[in-house]
Amino acid sequence: MNKAEKSRKMSYKQRGLKQALPFLLPASILLFVFLIIPFFFAFYLSFTNTRLISPIPPRFVGFSNYVRMLGDDLFGKALLNNFYFVAIVVPLQTIFALFLAILVNQKIKGSTTFRTIYFLPTVTTMVVVAVIWTFLYHPEGTINAILSFITFGNWEPIDFLSTERIAFPTIMFLSIWQGVGFQMLIFLAGLQEIPESLYEAATIDGANKWKQFIYITLPQLKNTSIFVIISTTILAFKLFDQVYIMTSGGPNYSTYTVMLHIYNQGFRMQNVGYASSLTVIFFLIILGVSLIQRILLREEREVF
Amino acid sequence: MKKVVSILFVLLIFLGISVFSQVEITMWFHSGRGEEREVIEDQVKRFNAMQNEVKVVAVQLPEGSYNDQVNAAALAGDLPDILDLDGPFVSNYAWAGYLRPLDEFMPSELKEDFLPSIIAQGTYNGKIYALGTFDSGLALWGNKALLEKANVRIPKNVEDAWTFTEFMDVLRRLKELPEVTYSLDLKANDRGEWYTYGLSPFFQGFGADLIDRETYMSAEGVLNGPEAVAAASWLQALFEQGFVNSNPPGYNVEFLNGEIPLEWAGHWEYPQGKGALGDDLVLIPAPKFFKHVSGMGSWAWAITTNSKNPEASWKFLEFLLKPEEIVKMSNANGAVPSRYSAIELSELYKEGGPLNIYVQQLNTIALPRPVTPGYPAITLAFQDMIGNLIRGVDVQEILDRAVRVIDQDIESNQGYPIY
Repeated sequence: MNKAEKSRKMSYKQRGLKQALPFLLPASILLFVFLIIPFFFAFYLSFTNTRLISPIPPRFVGFSNYVRMLGDDLFGKALLNNFYFVAIVVPLQTIFALFLAILVNQKIKGSTTFRTIYFLPTVTTMVVVAVIWTFLYHPEGTINAILSFITFGNWEPIDFLSTERIAFPTIMFLSIWQGVGFQMLIFLAGLQEIPESLYEAATIDGANKWKQFIYITLPQLKNTSIFVIISTTILAFKLFDQVYIMTSGGPNYSTYTVMLHIYNQGFRMQNVGYASSLTVIFFLIILGVSLIQRILLREEREVF
Repeated sequence: MKKVVSILFVLLIFLGISVFSQVEITMWFHSGRGEEREVIEDQVKRFNAMQNEVKVVAVQLPEGSYNDQVNAAALAGDLPDILDLDGPFVSNYAWAGYLRPLDEFMPSELKEDFLPSIIAQGTYNGKIYALGTFDSGLALWGNKALLEKANVRIPKNVEDAWTFTEFMDVLRRLKELPEVTYSLDLKANDRGEWYTYGLSPFFQGFGADLIDRETYMSAEGVLNGPEAVAAASWLQALFEQGFVNSNPPGYNVEFLNGEIPLEWAGHWEYPQGKGALGDDLVLIPAPKFFKHVSGMGSWAWAITTNSKNPEASWKFLEFLLKPEEIVKMSNANGAVPSRYSAIELSELYKEGGPLNIYVQQLNTIALPRPVTPGYPAITLAFQDMIGNLIRGVDVQEILDRAVRVIDQDIESNQGYPIY
């Protein structure tokens, strides 16, 4: 690269930045006001004993909120549950979403209808979904009735949400069903980016559908998959609505999650200081997980 | 023409003065059930029309997030002049200094006209901070046909209530009826505040409590002592032995269609129960355990310290608390009128009325949920505990945990010192 070329490229880059700034501004302001400032505020609050409603002026308590966390067995339990949830839901949801995306990407009649159907749960509010599924999961609800019907009455009705062993997997199932449409849509976009010519060439070379999937579709979808996995992981860590509505974290804390713990501590017990310290630690944990994922699944970027 | 203009001008000035002398106060209330809301809207309208000194501007906030919104407004120093609060949360707001004591406005004869439960619920640190236009009652609704079939005695008043052994005998006999699935409905699926409101009286009936009410400093030995263990084990056994459904399909479906003969609930069940069971619907006082206790408490009005016009605000509260107005509300939502003079005017609650047992209970055995700023933590711990109890977790373990949560909260708030 000679000097002239270099300077041309620089000015090109600078010009790009100039044009990008006005477009970045609205989003940056929003991010700053609603994410970054509150986070620093939470960081500050985590070193105080601030309460939501209290005549006692808040004072600095150093690291005592963090020390308290070490002895908080519910936080530990919640954290384990969160990892359990992520470990099960992220792979299943990703594989299932890819499967659905390939399915609705076929050029057959009605595939748009199926895309809409699979996407519907995602656009329905989780709160509504959770309330409806609570009825479905009831011992006298639809799911038990269906299981009883297909087993010719040999099915013992299960109280899905009240049985310690089953409650969390039950919620996982619902969560996968609700969220999969979103990932499907991203995979679909990724699939449509793959040039048709690759498949044509493969067909000429005599590769069957399975080989095409392994050697063309999957590698071409690498960046999409990484995005899906990381965003699903973050979403999965935020698990709250379903457990709040369906079980309140029970039975015996088998569905208790960190977000629920933060909500209980901060809003219901009004312990804002302690809740803030939980938030900070939880943020660091999610950040760490995302970073590790990024290192393990190195994205292939096209160099500009 | 000039004359007309000057007359108009004078008129304008007068109007202006009367507008300026009118005090505007804002009021927030939780938008509960439709009938309740309509009565309040109507009361505001009539109050504004009947005089021109005070103008009330009423704002409804959705019940689900009402507490959160009030908390946020309190932090921002943006509370309205008047607001309504759920009874057990009054002390928390009073402690924080957001509420204005109402004592200065209350002549003693007015104070004596209120049900003792209303006064107990609204009093923190010796001062009254909130007054309800109604209270709630908690007792048993029964299906007379089934009770008679099982050959059990139906108590007529509070003194006459079932004893513990009688109550257990009733549950057993009802269970034996072929058409009965469970003997008693405890609304186990109605999580949240119901657990504390509805089920803590059983603990108190056994001699336990949510916290030591002498000092409000600890729950140790009170919520995990032998009495509490006995109460929790008994309650757990009711679920395990099939006397009570741990996961009812709906709110009161089974009671209304005659599968469950007894329902532990409040006054609010009356209209539906009457519609479904007709004359078979009977109200049975809370059973007499080792101590005779029943629950109480409902939403109450308070004036905030933020209010620049406390006198004007009280004027409106005085209007809401008039016996005729109380009865209007009680007829609409079925709740127990908060004043004796209003009870006399109420067809439902006056002596001999179908719901009079609730008044008797509120007069004698009703116990408010702990009146302490630490209540939010207490109720959360207790609700959690009940959730685990219903699902069969070890009793001593869950009680100890609840005590730990409560005591930790009190400790981290320096014992909620009085400010």
